[in-house]
Amino acid sequence: MKHYGKKLISMLLTLLAVSFLVFAAFEIIPGDPALSKLGDNATPEAIAALRAEMGLDRPFIVRYLDWLLDCLKGNLGESYSYHMPVSQMIGDKLPITLTMTILSMLLTVAVSVPVGLLLSKYAYSKLDRAGYVANQFLMSIPSFFLGILLTWFFGLILKWFTPGGFVSYKKDFGGFLGYLILPSVAIAIPKCAMSVKLLRSAILTEADKDYVRTAYSRGNSTMEVLYRHVLKNAMIPLVTFWGMAVADTIAGSIVVEQVFNIPGIGRILLTSISHRDYPVVEAIILLIAFVVVLMNFIVDLLYRKLDPRMRRE
Amino acid sequence: MAETILEVKDFGIEFHDHDRPERVVEHVNFTLQKGEILGIVGESGSGKSMSALAIAGLLPRKKLKKEGQILFLGEDLMTMERHKLRCLQGDEISMIFQEPMTALNPTMKIGKQVEEALRIHHPEISAEERKKRALTWLKNVEMDDPERVYEAYPHELSGGMRQRVMIAAAMVGNPQLLIADECTTALDVTVQAQIIRLLLEINKTEQVSVLFISHDLSLIRQISHRVIVMQLGHIVEQGDVEQIFNHPQEEYTKKLIAAIPQVEL
Repeated sequence: MKHYGKKLISMLLTLLAVSFLVFAAFEIIPGDPALSKLGDNATPEAIAALRAEMGLDRPFIVRYLDWLLDCLKGNLGESYSYHMPVSQMIGDKLPITLTMTILSMLLTVAVSVPVGLLLSKYAYSKLDRAGYVANQFLMSIPSFFLGILLTWFFGLILKWFTPGGFVSYKKDFGGFLGYLILPSVAIAIPKCAMSVKLLRSAILTEADKDYVRTAYSRGNSTMEVLYRHVLKNAMIPLVTFWGMAVADTIAGSIVVEQVFNIPGIGRILLTSISHRDYPVVEAIILLIAFVVVLMNFIVDLLYRKLDPRMRRE
Repeated sequence: MAETILEVKDFGIEFHDHDRPERVVEHVNFTLQKGEILGIVGESGSGKSMSALAIAGLLPRKKLKKEGQILFLGEDLMTMERHKLRCLQGDEISMIFQEPMTALNPTMKIGKQVEEALRIHHPEISAEERKKRALTWLKNVEMDDPERVYEAYPHELSGGMRQRVMIAAAMVGNPQLLIADECTTALDVTVQAQIIRLLLEINKTEQVSVLFISHDLSLIRQISHRVIVMQLGHIVEQGDVEQIFNHPQEEYTKKLIAAIPQVEL
């Protein structure tokens, strides 16, 4: 329990540091939200008035602490360009990106584990070599390009879905899930290839260990040995990668959401950056940092679940 | 006349993993009777462990050539189909290994590992009954608190305890043949003595035949009924333990026995 207390404190400290850096970054980079709101023709008086209204004339540290306190209260501020609470904006879009992330992770896990086991069972065979080539290939295609290919093939050739015909989850949840399948596939394929590679090499490392021979001596078949004994021991590098992949998917949703025309977190991040809508950008970066920290925590939990030797305090 | 459990006939192994084939075991012949403890002694490289692994069906099928016959209850293990061999492994033929520290799966509870042979070979036995038998065997190998050990993970036990767990796991399916390959080598002397005593006891009560492989002549002398001396892949000499130790015929055996450290009194 003590371990989790420490973890929790370090999580909070990380988030605090990120919040400061994010806030400071927008202080340093050039560009004035008041100016971009009013346009180039605005008079200096009008700009000064708006800056005062937006609270931009106060010292940096005061604004930071003010913003931090508001964030802690759950008030992430108001969007400069949409004039609505940031929490509401993100709250509306988060389910979309989150669903896409969960779908792609489910696909990655459901495909990579059996394929990794299979390639390990037939290690160094022709199948394994073919798998290796396919893996290298799939790993090196960026998700956005896969997205374009998938849209072209399933949307324009097979006409299984309408490109750009996103369905809101509030209207039709089934249609919404259906639309998210292809983007999830596009995200999952390179991650899947990476997972298979990691799993195969971890399994082959484990397969030389003595307990594997013991398992065979009890009459386990190769598949039973791999599944019942080796898999759990070989999962550590995979779980680490998956934890990173979740955070990466949310941060990387900018590109895939653009390709598939999905109004998710990535989309508002992109428009907010170009509009210098700092409260929104800051909130999303904090959100991504939170996901990274949370995933680290979950990965740590899974380590302990997988390997009892790590449970020692 | 006792029942013959194991009969090895003109057995040989040839490695093919280098440019030139390498013969590691040649012309090995011996039999093992029911309830008998047969010791195989030799230096490292004598082929004793290879022979043991071959009998347990644990040698890889690729990269080496095997010849001769290994008859287990009259059936040849070497030509037997894989799935038939698997039915014997853990059920009729069990093995304990040299390294108790690594021979157990670190991420699986001891109990699950002890009862695994039952789960594989006797699916008709209920989970409660399996646990009961596993606990019985943990008790038979002198665990103070079988319930606690059942729920423990390998890293929570000492080396000696782990080797006793291995014995329990090997014996849970009431095998006909127990192969112990250097099973005391990694343990300190007092623990060694305990393991030897346990094996002798189990051999007596369960009537299991034991193939005890070691480089340690004094251990072989303590435990075996009959002894095989191996050198460079060949059997140098075999016979009753008293005959081998008191009246060795071959020069190599004499040298080995002369090399046993003696305590000067």
